[in-house]
This record gives sequence, C-alpha cells and structure tokens, in this order.
Amino acid sequence: MSVISNLMEMPGMVAAGEFSFRGDRYTYQGNMSEEMARMASIMCRSTSMGTHMEADMLGTFCTQDCGLVPGKGWAVRGPAFSVCVVHNVFCFMDNTKADFNKVLHYMHDELAHSSDDLI
Amino acid sequence: MAELNNLMDLDGAVAAFEFSDSGELVSHQLADGCDMNEQTLDMLSHVCVANLSIATMQARGWESLTGMGGFYPIGGFTLMGMDWSAVVQGTKGVVLENNKADYEAAYQALAE
Amino acid sequence: MIKRLLAVDGVQVVAQFRDDGQLVEGYGMMDENGLNMLVSFAHDYKRLTQANADQLSMFTQVNGWTPPRGWIVRGAQMTVCSIGNLVCLVDDSEASLNEVLKELDDLSHY
Repeated sequence: MSVISNLMEMPGMVAAGEFSFRGDRYTYQGNMSEEMARMASIMCRSTSMGTHMEADMLGTFCTQDCGLVPGKGWAVRGPAFSVCVVHNVFCFMDNTKADFNKVLHYMHDELAHSSDDLI
Repeated sequence: MAELNNLMDLDGAVAAFEFSDSGELVSHQLADGCDMNEQTLDMLSHVCVANLSIATMQARGWESLTGMGGFYPIGGFTLMGMDWSAVVQGTKGVVLENNKADYEAAYQALAE
Repeated sequence: MIKRLLAVDGVQVVAQFRDDGQLVEGYGMMDENGLNMLVSFAHDYKRLTQANADQLSMFTQVNGWTPPRGWIVRGAQMTVCSIGNLVCLVDDSEASLNEVLKELDDLSHY
C-alpha cells in the first residue's frame, strides 16, 4: 500500500495526496473536490519550498549537526483541522478524530529519507 | 502562557524559546550539550513567525474560497527537520527530538 | 554582457544563475562563495515569489500576478532585486532603483 493509502486508513484523515515541486501535477484521495485538491497542492508546495529554504538558512547558523536541517516537513494546526506535509505528501486531518503524533511520526518515518531535490 | 521550564520538561526537549510578535528572540533555554545557540534560535523564531503568517494567509484564502472552515485562526506551526522538530504556538516554541516527540503534549504545554 | 550593470550607479554585485540555482557568472564586490550564496538565495526566492503569486491569483481570482517577472527586497542600506535569472545587490544611497530595474529587465531578455 502507498503512503497515501496508509494515511487514508488512519482515523480522522480527511484527504491525503502528493504534489510535484515542478509543474502543477498532483494526486489525492479523500473527501475533497478536484479543485480543492489542486489548491491544497499549490499551497503545500509553496510552504514546503519556503521551509526547505529556511531550514537551509538555519543550517548556516548551527555550529555542527543541527537536527532541524535539512528541512523535511511542516504542520499547521487550526481549531478544527490540521495539515501536515513531509517531502511531497500532504494530508488534511480532523483534530477531534486524528492522532496527530501517529500521523507525523508515520510520515516522517516513511518520507524523511526522500531526496532533498525539490523536483 | 507556558513557562520555558515546563517546555524543557517535555520528553526530548532540546530548546525552549520565546519570541516577539515580529520574530525577535526574547528568551530561551537550552538542554546541556545541544547544538543550538541564541543566533539560531533567533533565526528559528523569525522562520516560525513567517510561517504562522503564511499559514494564516492560506487559511483565510482557503476558507473564503472553499467554504471549508476550521483552519483559522492558525493555532500552531511545526517545522520538522531530519532529527528535530520545532513546535510553536503563540509566541513560544520548543525544539524536540523527533524520535521522542509528543506533538500533542507540546501543543498542550504551549497552550497552558 | 551582464557586467554592464555594474556601470549603473549603486550596483555593487550582479550575478546570473541557472534554473537549478547554480551560478553562471557574477561580478562586483563579492567573492565566489558570496556569489554562490547570493544566487542560491535568489533562486529559492524566485520560486517562493512564483508560489506566492500563484496563491494570490488563486485566492483573489485575479489574473495578472502570474508569472511574476521579478522581486525586490529593500533593506535600510541595501536592496536586492531580481528579474528572470539575474540578481543584483544595490546600495540604496547611490542607486536609482528605476534605472537599475530597467537595465535588469533589458538584460534579462538576452
């Protein structure tokens, strides 16, 4: 099973998908319209490029091995929903039903060793 | 508001920090022997403030276009690195080792 | 060719980068390491600006922001500006930004 399918098996998952760093391709599963998934992939790609650059900048300030570098992903939390992205995989989850820890650890374990090239 | 001491009690805490609304580091605590310094934490604070703003812009745009609420106001932001994560909410944050990180507990501690 | 930007008042450094962020050439008061860092930043910032412009168009439903032609970050003493794959560092006290941007725009078409 793919990471996205596995994410969709987790409780509280609203939608999960994958975007490309170049171009506007994306795939997704879940309770979201095609247009919403397109918007989500544009937003997630944008923030991921930013955090990637910012983590690289942080690396120039750290003296030796800084565990925040290279940047691997990010998450934001709203009152009802959270979004998490690691590498080029995104997911939207319902805060009341999802296990935030389980999702973030799973995504990091599965995706953090992906290439840092934003292609 | 969370005290930095309480944040440092979280499992795997490497650093706890407080910053101004515009991202300048106000105060911080470091775990013994961790590879972090004041300059890095100041930079990290700016990164977190920038991303909270971006997420707020996205939440506003998303909610008004899709009608799907529940994202605004943005409560917290997490930056995941290879080995550590920075979790921030409001004007405080904590850096945790990924393999020990309890993100829910961190958000809860930051909200207290 | 891009070296001629240094003749514009206030321009201290000019550099060109490839689409993958690698330095093509750079001139002015900056060493090789500095030039590599400048084009790396300019390349990342270009992609971020494009991504933000995409979102602005998406959320406002107003076209015309994309594709963005360039960006300017203005500091207290120095300004960094970029059009296409060119970036330059400018001393605010000596430069006319309009003049710099016009020249940058012309050169970006070559």
